[in-house]
Amino acid sequence: MSFDFDAIVVGSGMSGGWVAKELCERGLKVAVIERGRNTDPTEDYKDHVDPWDTPNMGKKTPEDLKKHPIQSEVYAFNQNTKQFWVDDNDHPYITPEDQDYKWRRGYHKGGRSIMWGRQSYRMSEIDFEANKKDNIGVDWPVRYDDIKPWYDHVERFAGISGSMEGLDILPDGVFQPPFEFTCAEEVFKEKVEEKFPGRKVIPGRAAHLTAPTQEQMDLGRGKCQSRALCERGCSFGAYFSSVSATLPAAERTGNMTLIADTAVQKLDYNSETGKISGVQTVNTKTKEKKTLSARTVFLNAGTIPTTMILLNSANEHFPNGLANSSGHLGKNLMDHVACGRGWGIMPGMMDKYHKGRRPNGFYIPRFRNHTEVGEGFIRGYGYQGRIYRNSGWSINNPGIGSSYKKANRTPNPWALSLIAFAEILPDERNQITLHPSKTDQWGFPVPVIDAKMRENEVNLIKQATRDTIAMMDAAGIVMPDADDPEDPHINAPGNGIHEMGTARMGHDSADSVLNKFNQSWDIPNLFVTDGSFMTSGGCQNPSLTYMAFSARAADHAVKLMKENKI
Amino acid sequence: MNIQRRDAMKMLLAISASGALAACGDQSKTDTKQDGEDPLLKYAEAGKFLSMQEMAFLTAMAATIIPRTDTPGAVEAGIPQTIQDLLSTWGDDTVRQYWRSGLQSVQAGLKGADGSNDFATLAANAREAVLAKFDAGVYANTIENDFYKDFKSTIGSAYYMSETGATEELIYDPVPGDFKGCIPFSDVGKAWAT
Repeated sequence: MSFDFDAIVVGSGMSGGWVAKELCERGLKVAVIERGRNTDPTEDYKDHVDPWDTPNMGKKTPEDLKKHPIQSEVYAFNQNTKQFWVDDNDHPYITPEDQDYKWRRGYHKGGRSIMWGRQSYRMSEIDFEANKKDNIGVDWPVRYDDIKPWYDHVERFAGISGSMEGLDILPDGVFQPPFEFTCAEEVFKEKVEEKFPGRKVIPGRAAHLTAPTQEQMDLGRGKCQSRALCERGCSFGAYFSSVSATLPAAERTGNMTLIADTAVQKLDYNSETGKISGVQTVNTKTKEKKTLSARTVFLNAGTIPTTMILLNSANEHFPNGLANSSGHLGKNLMDHVACGRGWGIMPGMMDKYHKGRRPNGFYIPRFRNHTEVGEGFIRGYGYQGRIYRNSGWSINNPGIGSSYKKANRTPNPWALSLIAFAEILPDERNQITLHPSKTDQWGFPVPVIDAKMRENEVNLIKQATRDTIAMMDAAGIVMPDADDPEDPHINAPGNGIHEMGTARMGHDSADSVLNKFNQSWDIPNLFVTDGSFMTSGGCQNPSLTYMAFSARAADHAVKLMKENKI
Repeated sequence: MNIQRRDAMKMLLAISASGALAACGDQSKTDTKQDGEDPLLKYAEAGKFLSMQEMAFLTAMAATIIPRTDTPGAVEAGIPQTIQDLLSTWGDDTVRQYWRSGLQSVQAGLKGADGSNDFATLAANAREAVLAKFDAGVYANTIENDFYKDFKSTIGSAYYMSETGATEELIYDPVPGDFKGCIPFSDVGKAWAT
């Protein structure tokens, strides 16, 4: 049988880029199908725009709010980044009444790997064991030692800055030098660690090149210039994205074909071979339909779209969605909840300042249900924060004239911001389905996203908020302000922008969608390596884990293909 | 969450990985008709929302809030025109209504007890005295004017984002290179523009 390609990778973002690179480097002819446009850094990256050339003084326009009512709420949406966020009118979804879900996304080559927050943390043995220990969801079919070499592999290529800390909760990796702390962060670290011996304040681990390797420079990537304009796209290629790193690596093999403006709608299943025989696509501009074939198919469209494609590919053999004999496809939708926010001033050190804009902060690895007990909840949360001197002028400052102008020359005191990222448990009730009749303009059924925070999440958030206040107190933060632990800020799911879990991997085809190599239990030539494979979410930012599992799954798929097993 | 906190959180999130923040208060009506019946919405001329009188007042305010010192002030940096462009091409009726009525309220608030003085025609030192008193009153909550702080903040944003404000008044470092977390303030001497 002849195929159009050896492999089709659906999606060119964080995980799809990795699959493309690994497959192409192993000699496969690979089509990467991207529903969005073909990102052109010289056109799309606005990192050269000075403040005074930013349209409307950076203010959102009425058109922005019409076009992007959901996306424009994201911290990374602004006049220099709005080209990377979807037009919400073109991409509808439904939530149950009285429930919200904030689906934040961009459709273009590179996907959210262009706008991501770049925080890169390994999951630990503690995370991989957690479901089994707590009897939640299903057990991960892998342990840390299985994935460790792949974390090493992806970190070495992507370039992660960080410090060696020797913590079991947050394993060290292959790091480039960490970004420096500010003076005030040094004080914060010392005081928090002194008061709470089970907590560590460490430099954020982030996908920025601080000492690029030859391999990275050969791809045209350079050292981080501390501009902190990352979400605009980086012309230096200094942070990891598909566009700066994995896709160029795939491209230079000569084995990759990138097909942009093309959305996958369905996978064709051949009941004789028991495999995927084709991928039905629609050109998002012309609406022309086309079927492509490949020996193996990787879904990397993003957790929700990947789930939608499989649900939409239901057939007589798989009436509840392709590869869904377990019935778990679409269920267990997770995210992280960012909560327990605190602000305040670290007094003193007014004779000190920082230079450059660090695109990163500090991190406090999880300590609840680890070095410290957690009452009323399982799992935990990690914190991200920073202490910076922001520019001096503010709407809150009285004064006019030369004295006002002079006062504005002095930066503000050292100001702390702190926020926790808490784990959300897999729960079958949090799920994605397809609407029975509503479709988008390309005829694709509109998804219904039904997810909410439940008891464990609420209790985590309450304790995270108490811990925020306690750490600010320990650090001598003055003028503290924080969320209320008894009535905490709980934002709608989706806001963590870490959708995960709707095609989980497990030990058993009866209760999971994928095996330990991200391969469908039901259909051997189908692999899923975006966030949907996640069996649990940990509290770490998950992209690095997607990268590691993507590379591992691609390697495994090639081995199976060479052995003629798929 | 107040604006300062919101900004601080946005900056934090920009260096982290998540959008915890709902953009509360950023929603506004989106009608964009340019020639309403409402005098608060009337363009002075095609493409220019603010009239000459309003521009004169705005210019006097900008010069008084951020005057020329050893560096150019807001007027030298072209801020009145920046605001004119902003109001003429950006935003919607709600914004324009808010600004025109706001400018009127500040103008009224700056009149003397006899209601006679016109801020724009006062001498610079007289303007400074009048506005200093008004500014102090607003921040002490003895004068009620909801628009004034927003107005001053917009002048400030426009000035410190301008090439003049960013590069002459403050220090603009577009490509810093290495990040240094703790250096003597005296090595820099004033606030970074970004």
